[in-house]
Amino acid sequence: MKNLVSRLSVTIAGVASLLMFSWPLFIASSSVSEATTAQTVFIVLMPLTLLLVLLEFATGEISSRQLALLGVLIALNAVIRLLGAGTAGIETAFFLVILAAYVFGSGFGFILGASSIFVSALLTGGIGPWLPFQMMGVGLVGLGAGTIPHSSNKNLSKLYLVLYSIISSFFYGSLMTLWNWPYLAGTGTSISYVAGDPILDNLVRFFQYELVTGGFFWDIGRAVTTSVLVLLTGTALIATLNRAAIRAGVIRRG
Amino acid sequence: MALAITASLSATPLVLFAIGAVSMLLVLAFRDESAWSRSVSFYLKLAAAVVAIRVLFRIIFNLESSPANPLLVLPEINLTLAEGVSLKLFGSISALSFQSALTDGLRLAAIILAVGMANSLANPMKLLKSTPGALYEIATAISIAINLAPQLIASLNRVRRVRGLRGQSKGIRALPGLVIPVLEDTIDQSMSLAASMSARGFGRKGQRSKMALKITRFTGLAAITMIAVGVFLLLITPTTQVLDLSIAIAGLAFAVVYIKMSALGSLRTKYRKQAFQSGDYCLFALTAALLVSAFTGVLQF
Amino acid sequence: MITLRDLTFSYLKPDGTPVTETPQLNRVNLEVAEGEFVLVCGPTGSGKSTLLKTLNGLAPRFTGGLLSGEVILDGKDLTGKEPHDFAHLVGFVNQQPEGFFVTDTVIDEIVYGAEQLGMPVAEIDDRIKPIIEILNIGDLLYRPLATLSGGQQQRVAIAAALVAGQKILLLDEPTSALDFAGATEVLSSLKKLAHESGVTILLAEHRISRVIAEVDSVLVVHGDGSVTKGDPATQFNDARFAPPIIQLGAMLGWKPLSISTEDAAARWAKQSPDFQEKKLHEPGKKILEIDSLKVTFGNVAAVSATNLDLYANQVTAIMGENGSGKTSLCWAIQGLGERSAGTVLLDGQDTAELARDARLDLVAMIPQRAADLLFLHSLADELKESDTFAQVEPGTTANLFAQLAGRIDTSIHPRDLSAGQQLALVLAIQLAKQAKVLILDEPTRGLDYAAKRALAKQLQLLRSPERTIVLASHDVEFVAEVADRVIKLQAGQIVADQSPIEALGWKSQLPSQLAQISRADGLVSIEQVLA
Repeated sequence: MKNLVSRLSVTIAGVASLLMFSWPLFIASSSVSEATTAQTVFIVLMPLTLLLVLLEFATGEISSRQLALLGVLIALNAVIRLLGAGTAGIETAFFLVILAAYVFGSGFGFILGASSIFVSALLTGGIGPWLPFQMMGVGLVGLGAGTIPHSSNKNLSKLYLVLYSIISSFFYGSLMTLWNWPYLAGTGTSISYVAGDPILDNLVRFFQYELVTGGFFWDIGRAVTTSVLVLLTGTALIATLNRAAIRAGVIRRG
Repeated sequence: MALAITASLSATPLVLFAIGAVSMLLVLAFRDESAWSRSVSFYLKLAAAVVAIRVLFRIIFNLESSPANPLLVLPEINLTLAEGVSLKLFGSISALSFQSALTDGLRLAAIILAVGMANSLANPMKLLKSTPGALYEIATAISIAINLAPQLIASLNRVRRVRGLRGQSKGIRALPGLVIPVLEDTIDQSMSLAASMSARGFGRKGQRSKMALKITRFTGLAAITMIAVGVFLLLITPTTQVLDLSIAIAGLAFAVVYIKMSALGSLRTKYRKQAFQSGDYCLFALTAALLVSAFTGVLQF
Repeated sequence: MITLRDLTFSYLKPDGTPVTETPQLNRVNLEVAEGEFVLVCGPTGSGKSTLLKTLNGLAPRFTGGLLSGEVILDGKDLTGKEPHDFAHLVGFVNQQPEGFFVTDTVIDEIVYGAEQLGMPVAEIDDRIKPIIEILNIGDLLYRPLATLSGGQQQRVAIAAALVAGQKILLLDEPTSALDFAGATEVLSSLKKLAHESGVTILLAEHRISRVIAEVDSVLVVHGDGSVTKGDPATQFNDARFAPPIIQLGAMLGWKPLSISTEDAAARWAKQSPDFQEKKLHEPGKKILEIDSLKVTFGNVAAVSATNLDLYANQVTAIMGENGSGKTSLCWAIQGLGERSAGTVLLDGQDTAELARDARLDLVAMIPQRAADLLFLHSLADELKESDTFAQVEPGTTANLFAQLAGRIDTSIHPRDLSAGQQLALVLAIQLAKQAKVLILDEPTRGLDYAAKRALAKQLQLLRSPERTIVLASHDVEFVAEVADRVIKLQAGQIVADQSPIEALGWKSQLPSQLAQISRADGLVSIEQVLA
């Protein structure tokens, strides 16, 4: 039962959050004003959904040990993110989220991802309307990492982790582009989204936008750094985190 | 509020400029010398960049084909990306198109400046301390993280320095030697922190049954689902349907109930209530007003 | 107030079997009266900390392990309850305050416990006042915790542990991470608390000499599972973990033992025991030549124009208060540290200009937190990595480690070694290549007397005609025991270069405890006393 509930919440939370990003592809109305309203609605709905999903994972009996562990990992990841910031294409915020979610599960991964982005924004003072979207994006990366299959074969586990690192890097990149696409490109350019157009047409324009704005190359950088970091530190970090998981009494997965 | 009303009456770029200017003036008038206040220039640059990007995009990825009164005439470039998919760059652009890009950009810039103003004047840390009971756990984790971050930076620096004392692999392969000692320290620290919290009574909630907990979780799931489904339906149907709207609104209602429910059953007291002072409320109202005017200004346009 | 009946506690391996044959605590029976001030002592690893943690549920809930017997506090049986069920009755203070704080300002931290227990605001207000007065933290209430000194932080932690009206206060080595001034501050607050508040206090502490005169009773955790409690003067048959004053009494057959310096001095004067001259090692060949070395950070001179020669076969101690430039000097000698001017020549070559690997071969340094150099999962891995890197015969590091620390199961995680063992491991790793210079920066931090004695023996073992040992420390007793030469540093300047007999003798400004007791010329450390 417990497993079912947590699986259900992981699925629902995942789908709902994805929807918050991908609305430009689905929007039916062709009137500009309604599309603008949609933008407004989503910029307000995003923080709310984020809050609900965070709550969903935090409700229940979080022990002081899990909470403290979460706190220090959030701090560590926020700091690691700051270390990598500023260098184009280097993304250091992902590998710890992925590895921690792999050990501690989806819910933990989501909270860790979202909160560490929040904390690093607090540390630098860079708070803005984009913050909930970034939090949600990295949260989803953690959520997904909790579902990576565990294998007794060490090399196979590593392969899964690296594959996931690559996929999630591109996935995160396209989510971020998806949300700022309608805002930055505006309407009425050849690579803008057109409200009400079929999904495919919008997708094509979306990829053009990705290529032109260089978002694609950022994604490659992100995928490479995350994979390299996961490969280098994976074994050691997973061992350390497992030791911590036992000490914290965290039930693995779920 | 006067600002909001005037802004909603007309949507000329001038009004948007005014909103931005008011935001900045307020910041300059009321800010103190904290790190938060110093981020103002960051928001200003960002706002300028947004306007520039919008206009540039409109010029480069031009959609218009030979408008009547072109403002700017540039040679047209056609790129074929794939079979049947082509991309048109540059070309003639009309004053109207240019103006709409500028207004759009200004609108976003005004939003960014308004948020920036709120951020510069109100310390978000303060907000964290006044989180509702439902978010207590996450707020605790986050405030632990914020308190720890400076210590972590110090210990990263310490370990980085000390590492030169022991022979070990060089370059990027040395990374575990940096991360592991810090992480081990961090985890040790988190365990003693947890011990401290527990030893001081953390987790001593009023008894809440497993069933109540389960109901709470399901309420939350229902809220998320309904909001998502409702909004989604609203989007994919061209006209607004009563059903879609009511699902979305019911979802919102569930969300409110859920947040209330999550806060139940805690016996904590709060010694220092971070009461919002009248200044905070004014700031909050002002930000909301500025945001509303920025949005509605464009809707009318 | 506290009653333990047949309390038995063992740590368990992951497979559920006990880690050691005899339990950490074996059938402990104990009574502590209301308002009693109890000093808990015993060697590191004996179970002092475990004993305290059984009194607030942290053992076994946080430590793991198996507990049997009864824990009765204030008339209530709390055996097997969660730590938060003890919270209204027992306050707990840990070694390192900064890792223990949940909030960021003093006032929030103090009221945290009371909030968790759901105490009404008006009641919290009433309780706070007397406590902040006793601990003298009224001026600090709205300061961020991070800006406080260690001593101030620990006083805040004590206030936070008591604000909900707890009747029992447990302190697990609260001064071990503090410097001299901080420790004094905390211990005098505790004395005041014991006298004025009626709280029952259990204090585990290894700076025994500072508090022993104040406590009502001493509880010794012997390390074999047994625990005894009694009058301070009768409790120290086992001198392994005892401060020099207790050891001295034991050697000279004093009964009961003296616990205050004045008392011991009076007895010494009556008995005037014999002592031998301190054995100092003659300087060997010159190894290091430091010439007008300067270190400046910004405008501040951490080390100003220093000339110093260091010789083989000797242990040179660099002494000075915090911030006197000890650490900067160590790093500058090693070669990695900042220097603004000057040279440090080793066999005619400047250590700063040596290639990285060559420097590691020639100069071994142990940083303040030795564990920072450990990053593998097992002792065996660490030993192997060290052999590989140093390109020495496999097993070299392991042999050296065994010489220093004895045989230890190599599958253990390095973080689970005791502080003394970790230090020995880092020493072995750093010296695998037989370095000519060994620098230790504050090595006795966090070590108890037994571990310090072990380190002193290790340093004797590592002394050689090919090596010079530099020791930065403000631990007077330790320096008195091991050093052949003492350099005193003040604000970055060498103010004295003496033998330990002069530097730490009874007429000096920094007398060792034995020098204070004996007031005898030439006597500074305990092994000189003949009994």
